[in-house]
Amino acid sequence: MTDASPIPLLIVGDPTAAACVGDFCEIPDHHEQAVVNARLDDDNV
Amino acid sequence: MSEPIKVDIWSDVQCPWCFIGKRKFEEGVAQFGGEVEVEYHSFELAPETPVDFDGTPVDYLSDRKGISRGQAEEMIGRVTGIAKSVGLDYDYDHIHQTNTVKAHELLHYAKSKGRQLEMKERLLEAYFLNGEHVGRIPDLADIAAEIGLDREDVVRALASEEFLADVKADVAQAAEYGINGVPFFVIDGKYGVSGAQEASAFANVLATVASEREAVQ
Repeated sequence: MTDASPIPLLIVGDPTAAACVGDFCEIPDHHEQAVVNARLDDDNV
Repeated sequence: MSEPIKVDIWSDVQCPWCFIGKRKFEEGVAQFGGEVEVEYHSFELAPETPVDFDGTPVDYLSDRKGISRGQAEEMIGRVTGIAKSVGLDYDYDHIHQTNTVKAHELLHYAKSKGRQLEMKERLLEAYFLNGEHVGRIPDLADIAAEIGLDREDVVRALASEEFLADVKADVAQAAEYGINGVPFFVIDGKYGVSGAQEASAFANVLATVASEREAVQ
């Protein structure tokens, strides 16, 4: 019998991207900036 | 003609980043421009949540996570703003926090009928946009009937837990991959992409897979 080990995946992309872990959904800082930028665009600033 | 690139997505129905990530992924696929085959897999973020949780998402966060009500309201406000930036009008005032295992069973039922992608979109809309209940069998059956599934057969399948083993198998497979958060995308069985990435991140990895396939032909 062998030890259970995770199936290997090559993890790519932004390691800080927003995700829900358990029943908690974190909001990374860069998403805050994205919202501010979107609002600025909406307001034609 | 080459085979479509398979993308397996682990996701939960009441995960705000999963719906936002779905939109970003779809935009990434459009940027990529090639053929992609998507299959959704079950991931239960809060399997201990009662079906009829008596409270709002703010209550849930403040009661379960020890976050102040003010902080919880602020967090929800920020997620709502981010959702809006991808064209989704989250309605947290009318969300019914619930247990999603039956919704996951329904997604497997829909997959067995070739309708999983429509069902996934409809369930996310139901929960985040429409204030519909996605934990109770009669409500889920109504939603399923809207996309053309047989309401009575859905009730039978959900009541008999016909697809519960498939839900648990997905959860077990997520553990084998080492997935502990969602959304999580497994692309071509090789690349793992975690979270609501920007569209370009999805487009890039899809393009990488396409290039690798061309290189071996």
